[in-house]
Amino acid sequence: MKVLKKNDRRLKRSSVGKMIRNLFGVLAVLFIIWRLYLVFIVQNNYGPETWTRLLIAGLVIGSVYALIAIGYTLVYGILFMINFAHGEVMMLGSFAGFFVFEATNAINITAADGSVTSLTNAQPVLSIILAFLVGMTFSAMVGFFLEKIAYRPLRKAPRLIPLISAIGASFALQNAALLLFSPQTRNYTNPEFLARGAGWRIMINETAVILPYTGVLTMVLSILLMVGLLLMVKRTRLGKSMRAVAMDKDTAALMGIDVNQTISNTFIISGALAGAAGVMWGLHNGILHYFVGFLPGIKAFTAAVLGGIGNVPGAMLGGMVLGLLEAIGPAALDISFQLKDVIAFVIMIVILVFKPSGILGEVLSEEKV
Amino acid sequence: MKVKYFVVFLLVFVLALSACTPEAETPVEEPPAVEEPVAEEPADDPCAQDAWGCAVIQPGQTIKIGMSSPMTGPYADFGIDAQNSGLIGVADAGDVEGFAFELVAEDDEGGAEGGAAVANKLVADQTFVALAGPLFSGATAAAMPIYEAAGIPMMSPSATAGFLTQEGSQVFNRLPFVDPIQGAAAAEFMFNTLGVRNIAVLHDGEDYGRGLATIVRDEFTELGGTVTAFEGITPGEADYTPILSTIATQSPEVVYFGGYNQEGAVITNQMKAVGLEDAVFFGCDGTWGADYLSQTGDNAEGSIHANTRAPEESETKAAFDEAYLAAYGVGPVVLSPFSYNSYDAVTILTNAVKAVAFLGEDGNLYIPRGALVAEVRGTTGYVGIGSYSCDAIGECNTEGPAFETVVNGEWVVLD
Amino acid sequence: MNSEKYLRNSVQKGFIFSIVMIFMMMIGFHVVAANLTSKLFGVQVLRGSIPEVVFMAYVHLFFAFIFGWGASDKNRPSKQRVAQGLVTSVTTAAIISLFSLLLVFLVEAQLDIREYLTAFSADYMRYFVLNLGRPGIITLFGIYTVTGLVGTVTALFVQSDRVQQAWNRAKTSVTLFWENANSKMPAWAQKYGKYVIYGGSIIVLLILPVRWGSYLNFVTSVVGLYIIAGIGLNIMVGLSGQLMLGYAAFIAMGAYSMALLNAPTPHGIMLGFWPSLLVGVVMAMIAALILGLPIMRLRGDYLAIVTLGFGEIIRILLRSDLLVDFTGGPRGIHAIQGPTLFGRPFNSSSDFVYLIFFFIALSILIYQRLANSRTGRAWLAINEDSIAAQATGVNLRGYKLLALIIGAAFAGLVGGIAASRNAFTGPNDHSLMVSINVLSLLIVGGMNSIPGIFLGAFALRGLPEILREVETYRQLAFGVLLIVMMLVRPKGLWPSSRPIMENIDKAKVKKAKEKVKKTKRKSKDG
Repeated sequence: MKVLKKNDRRLKRSSVGKMIRNLFGVLAVLFIIWRLYLVFIVQNNYGPETWTRLLIAGLVIGSVYALIAIGYTLVYGILFMINFAHGEVMMLGSFAGFFVFEATNAINITAADGSVTSLTNAQPVLSIILAFLVGMTFSAMVGFFLEKIAYRPLRKAPRLIPLISAIGASFALQNAALLLFSPQTRNYTNPEFLARGAGWRIMINETAVILPYTGVLTMVLSILLMVGLLLMVKRTRLGKSMRAVAMDKDTAALMGIDVNQTISNTFIISGALAGAAGVMWGLHNGILHYFVGFLPGIKAFTAAVLGGIGNVPGAMLGGMVLGLLEAIGPAALDISFQLKDVIAFVIMIVILVFKPSGILGEVLSEEKV
Repeated sequence: MKVKYFVVFLLVFVLALSACTPEAETPVEEPPAVEEPVAEEPADDPCAQDAWGCAVIQPGQTIKIGMSSPMTGPYADFGIDAQNSGLIGVADAGDVEGFAFELVAEDDEGGAEGGAAVANKLVADQTFVALAGPLFSGATAAAMPIYEAAGIPMMSPSATAGFLTQEGSQVFNRLPFVDPIQGAAAAEFMFNTLGVRNIAVLHDGEDYGRGLATIVRDEFTELGGTVTAFEGITPGEADYTPILSTIATQSPEVVYFGGYNQEGAVITNQMKAVGLEDAVFFGCDGTWGADYLSQTGDNAEGSIHANTRAPEESETKAAFDEAYLAAYGVGPVVLSPFSYNSYDAVTILTNAVKAVAFLGEDGNLYIPRGALVAEVRGTTGYVGIGSYSCDAIGECNTEGPAFETVVNGEWVVLD
Repeated sequence: MNSEKYLRNSVQKGFIFSIVMIFMMMIGFHVVAANLTSKLFGVQVLRGSIPEVVFMAYVHLFFAFIFGWGASDKNRPSKQRVAQGLVTSVTTAAIISLFSLLLVFLVEAQLDIREYLTAFSADYMRYFVLNLGRPGIITLFGIYTVTGLVGTVTALFVQSDRVQQAWNRAKTSVTLFWENANSKMPAWAQKYGKYVIYGGSIIVLLILPVRWGSYLNFVTSVVGLYIIAGIGLNIMVGLSGQLMLGYAAFIAMGAYSMALLNAPTPHGIMLGFWPSLLVGVVMAMIAALILGLPIMRLRGDYLAIVTLGFGEIIRILLRSDLLVDFTGGPRGIHAIQGPTLFGRPFNSSSDFVYLIFFFIALSILIYQRLANSRTGRAWLAINEDSIAAQATGVNLRGYKLLALIIGAAFAGLVGGIAASRNAFTGPNDHSLMVSINVLSLLIVGGMNSIPGIFLGAFALRGLPEILREVETYRQLAFGVLLIVMMLVRPKGLWPSSRPIMENIDKAKVKKAKEKVKKTKRKSKDG
């Protein structure tokens, strides 16, 4: 009897918890509806051209976040560790791309008609491809060595240990870049036809909205890379072995899969994606310094968790959602832009409270969590 | 058992700590050493009269000028630039009676905790006489009482928070504009000289930028203009198009930005793409500099920035530019806008040391600390790269800014 | 096949060693090393801002030796080890020579690439090849090959069985001597020796703060505050197993309570130190409750990211325009008053050290009581296996929430004292880095182990504080140190002894020990 009573009480208590949670959710939704009502019906300050601009900015930044987030998610899916240094890998890739452009700019080519142009402008496509290749290769190498040096010996250790190692790696890489390249802010020199700020002009409401070329390049390339990655994970041998290792390392090893090699490959792929994101970042935003990887790294990690960490489409969705939230959120809710990260984090917390394993995340087993 | 080892370890660590910094004990023992001679020596001994006593530099030691600045983390460029400039300043200062100057740059991470740590560490060294810094207001606020107690004159190249000079500190002085003066001048310039009535005000949410932006907003409204938007941005980001897009809907004529050139350059570049083509970018002394030009290119044309009223292209400046480029491979004002201020701060301090230091009969160099504090505060008519005269509360740049615009990639003074 | 493999590994090692050397050159390591040497040992090895040639040569020799030492595998026969050493040394030497060829070319062509790679000043490049120009390349090759081999051979000798045996013998004789001395001590010394040591150390700790000057007091109090924070975080992460990346938010609660209630601006309430401290602790606990209630369902990394988000939210709000009139915005709050004790001010640097010592002792006491109580065991059970714990009747959510709240209370305490001690607090004092630092010191020291937390705080806060000399290199060294510590001691510097204590009855251990002692004495007598 007594036991039953106790259980009863516990049941009640958990329903109280549920009530608090639901109340919390309802309040959040009501708040959002109220602000949306204020902005769209009462004030109506912004015309469609402004919303389009915000949308474009959100999509571009979101696609960069998505690319970086995939790196987090891939590594997490296999090793269940947060690769805290991933943002730094992106920063180093961005630097590699920067040096390619500096080199191609320094080389002058005399055309047939005697005019002198830099290699960047004479062969723009070639130099862009080169920058991406070098950036991706370099980041992939960094990822590869990072895993080999800082993570591999800790594979059997408790989960917090590789996290601290990753934090250390993040510090080390960031400050290595500071010491190597000086704290100076660098500028990407884009080929002329990809100049920052240039783009297609779309007339909305008799105002020109610029759809920047670099933004389109970023979005298209990252979508291509993501589709390629999805196909690779689904179709190829490598993808299959990655999925197998993610499910169960020991069994995978018994099935003849080289677990170490697969994990290395995962780091190479995630590094390459981060490198691509870094070069895109440079081309679109232009600005580059040693600290540039920190914020996107944290944001992309957030995006990966938001989408459901360990889940590749989830990371893409999370990245896009986070990018759009950051760009549109403050304007749509009429909250200061200073608080855009607050909006993003609060909405993330709300989502996680109701879906504790992210938007697309499956309910993980006890062992994985 | 383990506990015993642990206690032993603790003791060893404590001993090691005390061994590491041999000078650490001097400040404790120093006061009696200074007080004792009072009774014996004649009354005109400057060391005995001095409230803080003298710094005694023995032959072979150097006169240490400290510097407290962020050299790691997101603002490392400011600190490293200040150190670079300060090193040139110390090298240019030569020596006093055969005693050389030495710059001791320490990393304060820009924050209060670091500022206090650096202050405590520096004042433990008896040969440390003056501080060029701290660079950031947060570190300054926490460190000021420590330097005050030790009688160390401070000359900050860039700490602009208003309250720093308002609380009767004897030792704190600074070179940058005071925010109220610059803000009022900027508002006045926009309203009267440019004749604009609608402005948007942005700031980077940091202490310096926000303070300035607030003053500009208030002054401009007072003059009768309209501030269409007052918004903070998140520093360190690379895409500010969302906030600029929303600002564009009210079509301001000027976008005022309080902050540093990294964000200023991004905003300048992105203004063109979101419907603010016709608005003028109006920066502050934090956005002025060569780095801004190199990052914005053509987009900078017509933007307006505040800068110190400086003797144009003086010899000192040319020599400094050359020395900086030769020593570090990049020019000054690339890493941060405060290269010149840092140099001037160090030079003012070394000049003051030269003015008060005297050689004792025992061959030691004596620097009366109180006299040095007064000498720095009493700086008048200093002409280095900029020209400065300090007032009674330690503001050394009360002239107000000159406004400069960009024409064909060059800075041109307006007026 | 096998022989090929071990030599291939050696080539790989050579690559890694040479990359390490080249990287160190590229970040200007030699300059810093020379700087430090000058300062620490009082030897002038700098000429202007560049180290002397002799110093450069020593650095080369030293690293060549170390590389040679590490070149060979311990468990291979000595012939193979020498071969490995040779291969590695030659590879290293070859790559470094190639690199110095590049340097010589850069010097001769007078190319200034400092805009991209800051360390590459012409002097530095010349001195790297020992100021010899082209012949320097061959000299470097020679240095790395020969010294590397010497290193390998030395390693062979030192690690040989005979030397190892001698070493072991020396070690055992020292321990034997120690034990001998111990057992010969009079009975009262054996019995009360522990208390004598305790008393002595307490006296030393009481005297030191007034003796050793404000800087060391400052370092001590920073380390002390981090120890308290570490103990608090350990309750969340170590005991109840909830990964928390937003600890700084709770510290901010304490700091801002102290600042708002006990500073002349912006509100001028001037409540006094002790009430403000209490309010800070309560505020931190309330914050933990508010955060904890909705998120108790989350686990692992989801919890980590939510707490990270919470930390960032608090920091951004503190500096935002929204709360600027309330919190002072990015400018922070200054002139926070110090504590008073019995009506007298208690705010000198040594007073704060005493205050922090007191709170450390108090925290340890609370922690020990908690950890060994029913609550502590419930937390450990949740940490080990939450489903099993729930099945045995542990109220999962309640205990997790409790851990969060108690951990936050410690943070509030730390924040309050720190704000009062610095007489300043601002939003930048409560960044993500603070949370990460506390977490790192916990794991580097060893979770669930008080001595571990002490060691971690000394290693991660005390050392960087003393190493402020090396400015920019500090953080790089910190990062590398974190990785190395995790690789070398993944359980922490001083791992917890809890699992052993749980398995074996304490009394039984004591009895067994005494038995061993008795038999030892008997054998000696006999």
